[in-house]
Amino acid sequence: MVDTNVIVAEGIVKTYDDSGVPVHAVRGIDYTLTKGEFTAIIGPSGSGKTTFLNVLAGLDTPTEGKVWLSGKLISEMSGRELSDFRRDHIGFVFQAYNLFPVLTVEENVEYIMLLQGIPPAERHKRVMNSLEKVGIAEYATRLPLQLSGGQQQRVAVARAVVSRPSLVIADEPTANLDSKTSGALLDMMRKLNEETGMTFLFSTHDEIVIQRAKKIVVLRDGKLDGNTSPEKFE
Amino acid sequence: MLLKLAWRNVFRQKRRTILTLLTMTGGFFLSSISIGWMNGSYGSIIMFFTNGRTGQIQIHHSGYLEDPSIYSTISDYQSIGAVLDSLPGVRTWAPRIYSGALLAVRSGDAESGNVFSNSAAASVIGLDPSMEDAATDFSSNIVSGGMLTASAADSFYYATGQIILGQELSIILDASAGDSLIMLSQAADGASADRKYVIQGIVSTGNADIDRNTCYITLADARIMFALSGKVHELAVMTNSLGTVDDLTEDISARLSGRDVETDSWKTFAKEFYNGMKADESSLKVMIFIIMFVAAMGVLNTILMMVLERRREFGVMKALGTKPGFIVRMIVLEANIMGIISIIAGSILSTGGLLFLSKHGLVLDPPINYGGTVFSEMIASISPDCYWIPAICVIITASTVSFLPALKAAHTKAAKSLRTV
Repeated sequence: MVDTNVIVAEGIVKTYDDSGVPVHAVRGIDYTLTKGEFTAIIGPSGSGKTTFLNVLAGLDTPTEGKVWLSGKLISEMSGRELSDFRRDHIGFVFQAYNLFPVLTVEENVEYIMLLQGIPPAERHKRVMNSLEKVGIAEYATRLPLQLSGGQQQRVAVARAVVSRPSLVIADEPTANLDSKTSGALLDMMRKLNEETGMTFLFSTHDEIVIQRAKKIVVLRDGKLDGNTSPEKFE
Repeated sequence: MLLKLAWRNVFRQKRRTILTLLTMTGGFFLSSISIGWMNGSYGSIIMFFTNGRTGQIQIHHSGYLEDPSIYSTISDYQSIGAVLDSLPGVRTWAPRIYSGALLAVRSGDAESGNVFSNSAAASVIGLDPSMEDAATDFSSNIVSGGMLTASAADSFYYATGQIILGQELSIILDASAGDSLIMLSQAADGASADRKYVIQGIVSTGNADIDRNTCYITLADARIMFALSGKVHELAVMTNSLGTVDDLTEDISARLSGRDVETDSWKTFAKEFYNGMKADESSLKVMIFIIMFVAAMGVLNTILMMVLERRREFGVMKALGTKPGFIVRMIVLEANIMGIISIIAGSILSTGGLLFLSKHGLVLDPPINYGGTVFSEMIASISPDCYWIPAICVIITASTVSFLPALKAAHTKAAKSLRTV
């Protein structure tokens, strides 16, 4: 295992059998993501992007195959181990923002560090630093519902990066945003990637994301259909 | 953070939370009022029963309660009385002699002459008129005629020859105040005893069973009749408060250790009455259970709705690395926050309700008969029981009904909830 690999996935298969009819969401993918990448996984609806991302993030277990994240074999971890691992190594940005509506912006960003047991003074410093980086420090005391969609997604990004994870996974982060807001959000994330060296992995159909990605991974019918650069993709 | 999250989550759906709080507060209030009312009623019934007749504590010769023999007497009761007088919890005490006799009354018409044609078996209670009056206010129950004449000594010369009959017994004997009566029995010395008495009065104690088979003579008359010079069977002790009876019984018992006497509280010597009370308490517990069950259904409904609505949020929490225990604690805490608010609101309401009901009782029309004693009003009493029992019930209910939904929420599959909601 090379140190620069953030994710190594081998022979990933994910089949759902919830309704009694097997659905093959991911059909045998080998994939490696290296440190500092800013990669978008693209593909049509139902191509298995979200499922693949969930398996890579340890939110879902593969039916077959193995996933290493930061050198740890996460596909065979127990629920409790995975929970701790996600908390310390992965930041999430969701399509629907998914901020806690009863917590203020500041508290939402602070939440993950509370779980990590970081002291209050350090937490406050890091929260404000993250909010400044995403350009939303002035709204620290507001509740999420008092913010626009773009502002909420910036808070979500701040929450994802505040604990300095090895990997930030963003599932369709711009799906609910207009193009101008999406562009600004992606520029901000790209800046974070370049300044901190943090690794970002997106799933998207959004051209704005695709244009700003350093690398594109195409998924079709649950299989990898190429690994390319945005220019080549266009 | 846990408390902050739980507190704010409680007020996310204000209308639903208010309805749940109303249900829980109502449960607390009804339970509290029920307990206050029952305690008040029980207190009244017990005090009525014990103050009017038995006393709250009794002292007998050892073994008398199991085998109430005429020979089981207390001979130095005045010294025991001195001990009782020294105790601040003792209001007063009264000595008594118990025996049985056959009573016969001469028919009232002139033609019957000296024929004592109406007879009945009866319990005979020898009492000190003034001490008995101080203890049980005996003379206030006399419905015709008058009270026995006080007579301290037990010499034949001090015998009054007066008797008081229970009202129902006077009807059986067809006797009234002023009539003559013959009492036949056996004295403690083995000799047959018979004496003639004049009916001084008729008493109605409020307990028809007792009034049907009981008559009363002075302590002096009883000692002469039953050859029990200087002796009594029982000292009935009246206390200042029902709540101190158990401690006072132990205290008296300790002070009288070394004497051949036993000291018992009303729970022992009026066991059937006490067991009846305990049985009624069971019905109170069932009532509280039903009230709390109804409240629990309301809380359960709220918690289930809340868990269902927040499935995605729990999924996000799990994705971010929140442990299941944190989610369980948060939801149980939310239910308990509602519980605590209900307890505070319920306590305020209950205090108002109990204060009102302790001053303005419920008039029973028609009156109820409890063990032969008639009660016409139910009064509530305020005690710690009215608060801590419903409070514990609310907390247990909130914790119990929220635990399973909390467990379900804690085991939300992050990927599934984020995908499907």
